[in-house]
Amino acid sequence: MAKKNQKDDDESVEEEEELELLQVDVGDIMKVKQILDETVAGTISEKNEDLSSHGGKVKIEEDHRHDNMKLALMFTACCFAAMAQFGLKTEFPHDSNRWLLGLCCAVYFCISGILQLIMTFVDKDCIMVTKPLRDEAMIKLVKGSGNKEMDKYGIRVRTQFPRFSEFYTVILEFEGKENSEFVKETWSVGKFFDVDGFFDEEGLAIEIEELFQRFERGDFNKKESSDEAKTAKKSKKDSVKKD
Amino acid sequence: MIKDMIDKQVIELKKLWANKRMLTFQLLNLAMIVFSALMIWKGLMFVTKVSVLLYWRFSRRIDCLFDDEMGWVDHNGRMSWRKYMLRCMLPLEDRLVSESPVVVVLSGSMEPAFQRGDILFLNNSVEKVDVGDVVVFKIKDRDIPIVHRILKVHQKPDGHVELLTKGDNNRVDDRGLYAPGQLWLEREDILGKAVGTLRYVGMVTIALNDYPVLKYVLVGMMGLFVLTSKEG
Repeated sequence: MAKKNQKDDDESVEEEEELELLQVDVGDIMKVKQILDETVAGTISEKNEDLSSHGGKVKIEEDHRHDNMKLALMFTACCFAAMAQFGLKTEFPHDSNRWLLGLCCAVYFCISGILQLIMTFVDKDCIMVTKPLRDEAMIKLVKGSGNKEMDKYGIRVRTQFPRFSEFYTVILEFEGKENSEFVKETWSVGKFFDVDGFFDEEGLAIEIEELFQRFERGDFNKKESSDEAKTAKKSKKDSVKKD
Repeated sequence: MIKDMIDKQVIELKKLWANKRMLTFQLLNLAMIVFSALMIWKGLMFVTKVSVLLYWRFSRRIDCLFDDEMGWVDHNGRMSWRKYMLRCMLPLEDRLVSESPVVVVLSGSMEPAFQRGDILFLNNSVEKVDVGDVVVFKIKDRDIPIVHRILKVHQKPDGHVELLTKGDNNRVDDRGLYAPGQLWLEREDILGKAVGTLRYVGMVTIALNDYPVLKYVLVGMMGLFVLTSKEG
């Protein structure tokens, strides 16, 4: 009886999990990328205790400085726009207000332009940046496992999902380092989405954790990422999984 | 299907609420989209030097009065007491005043050139206005701007310019509309010259104002869409 109850519980837990599985319209490329990015960002966060191979002893903190700067710029632009819209009487032809209006509009468009430039040339495909490790114990653990520079540089998480392609790529590299070493992995979205659009969040999280642990070990991809290297790595991974 | 869509939107909103940083980002994103449109508007105003106090007429019950602007005042410049009372009784929402370099044609006095519901683009940075130009002008101490064509231009030796206007579809010139004793308009009375037109597009705005609920529904849906889609 108890076993049956447990089975029922398991089933109900499974049912619950199924109900909570996110479903998307797989034709909506933007939505699919958004969900994949959110899951990647959620996995590489301090709340995830399974991220590092050292378990909860190593925690990664997200670096919000860049985001804060963008938010501040947006807020400033909105202030100037609000002043131009609501704060100025525009009963021309009195010239004084007109020039102030022109100035506010110009400043708004400048800031808007700067934000666009930042998003196009600085952010590019980055979805999050982390801080370098600060805690001595964490640094010691990580250096022991292979990656010697996680205390100097944070991690830049980049994702690529070209239009009309089925392949999603995640790249982890050092933030602020020229020609940084990186780890890179590509999967077909069919690995995480089924035909009806149900999303295997757990599956992607596990892959990202493995990728991060590769980064932690210092097991970087070769700089010239040839197709052979990719295929070789993939087949190696598949054979390891079979074992 | 609509229920599914609503459910999805609700889930997105709940997710957004849980993540305050993302919520702030999306709200600011939405604000920037709205402000971009408004700043383009204000930028146009800056460039064209126009500030037009626009009387938008939404109340159908007094449409008949506006169809013939000559009916506002008689030839002695007096307004009949009935029309004056009606004008004072107009509820505030019927007298939405906005300043813009774009006006909606309200009456049929410029047919067949412009119909009710056409949008006119104005430019006030022109120095001279000539016979044949369609202009928007305001008579001193009156709220209503009028869109008519210039009929006569008198240029005095000292450079002072006097203008007479007339609606294409009116039988007589606008002297009956001017202030008591005023026979000519000055350049300062002109708020802008019409430089472009969009046919019937203003009808959408007139419809939105006839049924204010539509305005809120439209803006609400757009706002929800921007908040929950993260393409920014």
